[in-house]
Amino acid sequence: MRGFTHYISGLAAATFFPSLVADLRMGILLPVIAAAAAYFPDFMDFKFGKFFARRDYEIDPAPWDEKKHYAPKLVKIGELGEKNRYQFFAIEGKVEEILTRGSGTVTYTILNEKGEQETVEEEYNSIVFVLNDGTGKITVEAVGDDYKFFEEEFGQIEEGKEILVFGYVDVDEVEGGLRFVVSDAPHPQGIADTIARAIEEAYREGERIVKIHNIRLPGDVYRQFFVHLDPPKREVRVEMGPIVTPGGVAITDKPPEYRRYGIAKVNVPFIKTYPKPTRIDSFSGPEIAFRRAEFKGKTVVKDRFLPWHHGFSHSLTMGVIIGAFVYAIFKLLGYSHAGDLALASMIGQWLHVFEDQLGFMGSNLFPPITKDVIPGFKLGESGSGLTNFSTAWLMIAFMIWNFNRFTDPRPIPISDVKLLLLLIWPSIIGFGIAIVRSFKLRKEIAELMDYYTNIEAFEELEEVGGI
Amino acid sequence: MLPLSNILIWSLAGVLFGAAISWIPGFHIFNIMALLVAVFGVGELIPVQAFPFFAVGAIVAYAYVSAISSVYFSVADESAVFLLFPTQRYLLLGRGHEAVLLYLIGAVAGTLVLVLGALFIFPKVLPPIYQATSPYITYFLVAIVLFMFMSEWPKEGDRGKTPLQRLWLAWRQILGGILVFFLSGILGFAVMNTNLLPTTSAYTRLTPMFIGFFGMSWVLLNILSNPPMLPQKLDDKVESSVYNTLKATFGGALGGTIAAVYPIITGGMGALVAGHITSQRGDDAFIISQGVNRVIYYVGAFTLLFLPNLRLTRGAAAWLVSSVYTPKSYAEYLAAIGVILLSAGISFLFTYYLSKLIARSFTVVHIRKLSYIVAVVLVVISYVLTGPMGVVVLFVSTAIGMMAAAFNTRRSYCLGGLVLPVLISMTGHTGEVMHLLGLG
Repeated sequence: MRGFTHYISGLAAATFFPSLVADLRMGILLPVIAAAAAYFPDFMDFKFGKFFARRDYEIDPAPWDEKKHYAPKLVKIGELGEKNRYQFFAIEGKVEEILTRGSGTVTYTILNEKGEQETVEEEYNSIVFVLNDGTGKITVEAVGDDYKFFEEEFGQIEEGKEILVFGYVDVDEVEGGLRFVVSDAPHPQGIADTIARAIEEAYREGERIVKIHNIRLPGDVYRQFFVHLDPPKREVRVEMGPIVTPGGVAITDKPPEYRRYGIAKVNVPFIKTYPKPTRIDSFSGPEIAFRRAEFKGKTVVKDRFLPWHHGFSHSLTMGVIIGAFVYAIFKLLGYSHAGDLALASMIGQWLHVFEDQLGFMGSNLFPPITKDVIPGFKLGESGSGLTNFSTAWLMIAFMIWNFNRFTDPRPIPISDVKLLLLLIWPSIIGFGIAIVRSFKLRKEIAELMDYYTNIEAFEELEEVGGI
Repeated sequence: MLPLSNILIWSLAGVLFGAAISWIPGFHIFNIMALLVAVFGVGELIPVQAFPFFAVGAIVAYAYVSAISSVYFSVADESAVFLLFPTQRYLLLGRGHEAVLLYLIGAVAGTLVLVLGALFIFPKVLPPIYQATSPYITYFLVAIVLFMFMSEWPKEGDRGKTPLQRLWLAWRQILGGILVFFLSGILGFAVMNTNLLPTTSAYTRLTPMFIGFFGMSWVLLNILSNPPMLPQKLDDKVESSVYNTLKATFGGALGGTIAAVYPIITGGMGALVAGHITSQRGDDAFIISQGVNRVIYYVGAFTLLFLPNLRLTRGAAAWLVSSVYTPKSYAEYLAAIGVILLSAGISFLFTYYLSKLIARSFTVVHIRKLSYIVAVVLVVISYVLTGPMGVVVLFVSTAIGMMAAAFNTRRSYCLGGLVLPVLISMTGHTGEVMHLLGLG
C-alpha cells in the first residue's frame, strides 16, 4: 500500500492507548513515533536498502549527461566502444565523407498483437556518412522514419558540415566496426540480451541481480519501455514505448517498428512470479533478481522484483525488535508510558506488514524461523485507490472514535458502537468492493500464472522440433 | 445584515479585484488584501459589513484565476535539471490552455462540492468532529511534517557508482529539504517572536517572508532560467476520463477539507496526504485535483468564518476580515454560499477567456520582462507593509526559497517558516528556543 496509508495506521494504533491519548492532549507528541515505526519498513528499504543492494548487471540504455541529469549524454567518438552497443548518445562533429544516399528495402522482425514474431519488409530512404569529432571517426546512418526526421532537422548534408546527432551505437556485424544509428531512443536489443544472459548465469551460479535504469529525457519526460519475460517461449522481449510524463501521459508515438523490439532467447527454463510485464518509465528503474529454484520438481530460474524490498524490514520479527528498541530508549529517557509507546510502535509496524500482505508481493513474516516469502492475499494491487482509501479511512475513523471515547465529557455524545458504525461505513463499502473485485482479479492472475509458470510448453515444442 | 443588492455589488467588486491581480505571478490575494487594508483602511473605502463578501469574491477569483499564473507564468527552461510540475510540462508541450481547462474542471467540481458541503454537511458534521479532534492538532501537524521528511523520494540516488555514492546522492536531497525546513523555521520564529519587523504591521508581518519563499523565488527562477516561449494550442479539448475526474475530485476535496479545517496545515500538505490516501496517478488527475483542492482550501477555509455554530478563523484573509468584522447570522452564511456560486461563474469565464488570450499571444512578450516588473512590485509591497526590515526578510526568505529549488526538494518545506514557530509555541517551548537562538 501507499506510504501514507501505512503511516496513518501507526498514528491510529497510538490512539488505542488511553495513556498516549492523554499525553497528546497535554502536548506530549511522542506517540508520533508509532507512525514512524509503521512507515519504517518502507523508509529502510527505499532510503537505505535500495542503495546498498548488489547489482550484478547494470543496464543503462541511455546514460545521463552528468550536468544536465538527462539523456542523451554528449560523448566523444573516441570514447565509444562495443560495450556501448545499443546505448543512446549524442555526438557532435564534422561530416567527413558521405558514403551513400539513396533508397532500398529493409527487413526486420516485429511482434504482432498476439505477441508473435513477424517479419516485415519496408521501403526506405537513407543516408550514410562518416562523422569525425577529432577524437575518432564513426559511420552514421539514418534510415526510414529517422531519415525523414534527419532531413527535416539538417536539410541537405554536405561534407564539412558541423552537426550534433542523437542515436544509438551499433556494431557492424560484417566489417566489425562501430556505427551510429540516428534515432530518438536506444535499441531495446541490448536490454533483452543482458537480461537473458543474467537468467542463464543465475541458472548456473544461483543468483544474478539486474538493475535497469530508466530513460530520462529533456523536460522531465521519460521514454517508456516494457520488459516481457515469456517462459513458455523462453524469450525475453523488450518493447520501446512512447515518451511519457511522470504522470504516465504519452506525448509521442512509439518508436518506428524496425527499432521498437528487442528479443533474446534464453537457453534455460525460467518462470515468472508476477503476471505482468515490467514497465519502466518515471521515478527510477527497477532491480530484478533471478534466482535458481525448484519448481514442480525441476530446476528453474525465478524472478523477484525489487529483491531489496519486503525483506527483513517487512517481517513481524522486525516489529518486535522495533518495540523492544522503542521501549529501551524511552524507558532510559524516563518516559512514563514507554511500554504503551513500544506496543503501539510494534503494532504500527505489524499493521504495515499486514496491509502489504493484502497485495501481491507478500513478505517473509517470521525470519529467521521462516525462510521464504508468504504470497500476498491478492486483494488488490499496492497502488489501488480503493484499498488504500478504505484502509486510510478506517484508520481516520479509529482515531476520531478513540479521541471521542477517551475524552470526558465526550464531544460526540453517542454510543461507541453507533459512532464507530457511522464512521467506518465508507471503509466497509470499499473493502466489500475490493473483495468482490479480488475474485475476478485472482481468476485472471491464475490464468496468467498458468502461462507464466508453464515450463512444459517449451519442452514439448523442443520434442516435436517446433523450435 | 447588509441589503442583498449591497452584498452583490461588493462581491462583484471583490471578484473584479481578485481577477485583476490573481493572474500575475508572485501575487497572492492575501498579500494584496493586506496591502489594500494597510493603505486605504476598511470603513472608509468599504463598509465593514461588506468586507467579508468583498473578500469572498476576491478569494474565489484567486482560487480560479491563479491557474493562469501557475500554468503560463511558471514556465520552465527545458534544460532545467529540476523536476517539473505537470502544468509546466503541459506548457512545454504547447498545451497550456488544456492545463487551464483541466484546472477549471477541478475548480468547478470543487465549488460544487464546497457549496453542497456547506449547505448540507458542514453545519452538522464539522462541529462535533472538530470538537473531538481539535485538541490533537499538534499531533496531526507534527505527523504530517515528519511524513514529509520520511517520504521524500530520492530522485538521484540510482546512478551513483558505489553504494555510498548512491546513498549520498539520495540523502543530499533529503538533507537539503530538512535544512530548508529548519532555516525557514528559524526565520519564521524570528519574525514572529522578535521586534525585527514593526509591531504596527500586525497581521502582515509574515507577508514578506511568504512573498520571498514562494513568490519572489518563483519570479527569480523565471528570470534566471531561459524558458522557451513556445506557441500554444487553443483547442477547447482535454485528455482525461470521467473516472480520473471523479477520483481527482474526491482526492482534491479530501485534501482541501483537511487543510481548510485544521490550522497551519496548508493546501499542499493536504494534497500530499490525500494523494497518498486515494493513490492518485496521472497528470490530468493531478491538475484537476489541484483545482478542487485550491477552491476548497482557500474558499472553504474562509467560509468557515461564516459558519454560525463553528466560526473558525482559517487563513490570513479570515484573520484580516475578522479583525474588522465577523459575520454572525445564518443568513450571512447562506448569502456567502450564494456569493461563492456567483463569483465562481464569473471567475470561470474570466479565467477561460484570459487563458485563450494569453495562449494566443504567448510568444509576444517574454516572461522575463513581466518577471522584472513583478519583482519590483513585490519589493514595494514588502516595503509598504513592513518597512526596510521587511525587504531584508524578503531577501533572506527568497534565498531560502531558491535553496529548495537548488536541492531539487519540495518547495513546501518553506512552510517551516510557519509550522516550526507555531509548533514551538503550541508545545510551550518559545522561551527556551528564544534563549537558544540568543534572541531573548
